[in-house]
Amino acid sequence: MIVIMKAKAEEEDVNRVIDTIQSFGLRTQLNLGAERMVVAVIGDISKIGEDNFFRIRAMKGVENTVFVSKPYKLVSKDFKKEQTIIDVGGVKIGGKKIVVFAGPCSVENREQIMEVAEKIKKAGASMIRGGAFKPRTSPKDFQGLGEEGLKLLYEAKEETGLPIVTEIMDARDVNLLSGYADVLQVGTRNMQNYTLLKELGKCDKPVLLKRGMWATMAEFLGAAEYIMNEGNENVILCERGIRTFSDYSRNTLDLSIIPAIKDESHLPIISDPSHGTGRRSLVLPMAKASVACGADGLLIETHPEPDRAISDADQTISLSAFSKLMEDLKQIAKAVGREI
Amino acid sequence: MIIIMKMDAEESQVQETIKKIKDLGFNTHLSQGENRTIIGVIGDISSIDESDVERLRATPYIEEVVRVSKPYKLVSRAFNKEDTVIKINGTEIGGKKIVVMAGPCTVESEDQIINIAREVKSSGATILRGGAFKPRTAPKDFQGLGEKGLKFLLEAKEETGLPICTEVMDTRDVNLVAEYADILQVGTRNMQNYALLKELGKCDKPVLLKRGMWATLKEFLSAAEYILAGGNENVMLCERGIRTFSDFTRNTLDLSIVPVLKAESHLPVIVDPSHGTGRRDIVKPMALAAIACGADGVTIEAHTDPEKAISDADQTISTADLHALMGEIKYISRMFGREI
Repeated sequence: MIVIMKAKAEEEDVNRVIDTIQSFGLRTQLNLGAERMVVAVIGDISKIGEDNFFRIRAMKGVENTVFVSKPYKLVSKDFKKEQTIIDVGGVKIGGKKIVVFAGPCSVENREQIMEVAEKIKKAGASMIRGGAFKPRTSPKDFQGLGEEGLKLLYEAKEETGLPIVTEIMDARDVNLLSGYADVLQVGTRNMQNYTLLKELGKCDKPVLLKRGMWATMAEFLGAAEYIMNEGNENVILCERGIRTFSDYSRNTLDLSIIPAIKDESHLPIISDPSHGTGRRSLVLPMAKASVACGADGLLIETHPEPDRAISDADQTISLSAFSKLMEDLKQIAKAVGREI
Repeated sequence: MIIIMKMDAEESQVQETIKKIKDLGFNTHLSQGENRTIIGVIGDISSIDESDVERLRATPYIEEVVRVSKPYKLVSRAFNKEDTVIKINGTEIGGKKIVVMAGPCTVESEDQIINIAREVKSSGATILRGGAFKPRTAPKDFQGLGEKGLKFLLEAKEETGLPICTEVMDTRDVNLVAEYADILQVGTRNMQNYALLKELGKCDKPVLLKRGMWATLKEFLSAAEYILAGGNENVMLCERGIRTFSDFTRNTLDLSIVPVLKAESHLPVIVDPSHGTGRRDIVKPMALAAIACGADGVTIEAHTDPEKAISDADQTISTADLHALMGEIKYISRMFGREI
């Protein structure tokens, strides 16, 4: 449930509402919007009871109370109208500038990650991505360099100033990864790993949440709600393709979800055309399409020698192709009133 | 199988090759490009003797003999390198042009279609769409005005000069619809209605073939192959969304197929964001995304009073919104060096 306060409501009105709700053993979260204040009620609202519910509605300063029947509330526009802008070391995600996270699927060695960092920085990327802990389909596949990989990413950051986004797979690793990374990524397979999501909700790093390849929009936003529910408001959503019968691409990039989420949520949403198509030749056109339909950013896999990449070689573009992509995206960004 | 002639092959040598193929018991299809001539071999080539293939390969004026293992050939880029450009009353589809087809889902009355046609014309869209024969889910739903609807469409054409695109559902109606329409549309449900496709192959009107909502890339191109094999080379491919688990949209618009179709085939590719999303509020961003990833045009459901549309009201935009959309489409098209 959310309680929408009148535009003219005073601070004491809001405090009275919060105290009343908390007296039922429920938690609250206050959103100070530009136009109106909204109090979100967190927990089992059946504790309030019907009589008390009408009492809250009649309280001074209360405009309306809304039962949000959707499995999410904090992520919704009902709760917060204004677009969320997440600041990561000066890189603003969700603003006018389209952010590009680029890098290899896996951190392989020092030379590789340093070369990538320098080249993508030059091409205009905002952040470096690279996996140290890898969720590979087979347990015998390369599982990533682990902490060694994090150290290499950190070196690349010190060299170039690019903030780091890297994947977290285990709730026990949150502190370790937070020591190195600027944004923690939840991969598609872990979108409904609720213990991991809760742990990330308690941490102070922004989270990049990838859509589960099986997830409906409500389930996707429900997963983001888990993180926000624990207090971490800095969630970046990422469309990365869903599982369908269509077999010419690795996944089916469901770009329509970008404008649909823009209608539904205040959180930034980016697109991953590398995983979304699984085909190198489709990364550029689908990156363009992502920007055209309103994405706040892109996640692009790039490698000095894509054919030799340990993982995801088929969808990884070369560093020179990446530079060209950044050039090509300028026009389309301009066409939709953004910059890159 | 396709036979690529050497660049300096003479007409008599081409004819000689065609005769050789016919002597082997196959039909041929000739494609004379700017730079080279290609002969398509039609029929079940699994029965062809390998020594005959080798003999063809050894012929001095034959560059190459390619056994195309895909279930399509005439539609493929290998067969025809240059983009097919379809000419309709002075309007071109394919090549540098971006085509915008717009109009109601269903022709409802004379006034309705003429009023909408005027708006479509003044918005700058180039083709009028509207259904006279309607494939509705329930037999009790309005099935369209039939020939009366075609007559109204023709009146709207006479009034505005806009060519007409309308659906044909029955082999017995092909001649009738062809008398009125400039483009015959095959709906998603009929993509594998092979009897209909064969009939359209014999007809002299361009065909807009919509992707079956269950169809893989191969199945889609094979359906187009049916029409080309019958002798009609003027086919437009239309992505209109596929059936997936994702439920925030009516269908999942599979935009990644656009660059794949452009690489795989020489035929123009159109996108239908109205059916592809089923949601009025995201038609615009998805139309722009379609152009951004290389589509040759879009087809948009528009109505002077969308709320009152007999069918597809949820995905139909107002003609006022169509005007605004056309402005953005023109802008983005110019950026890609294309024009309306």
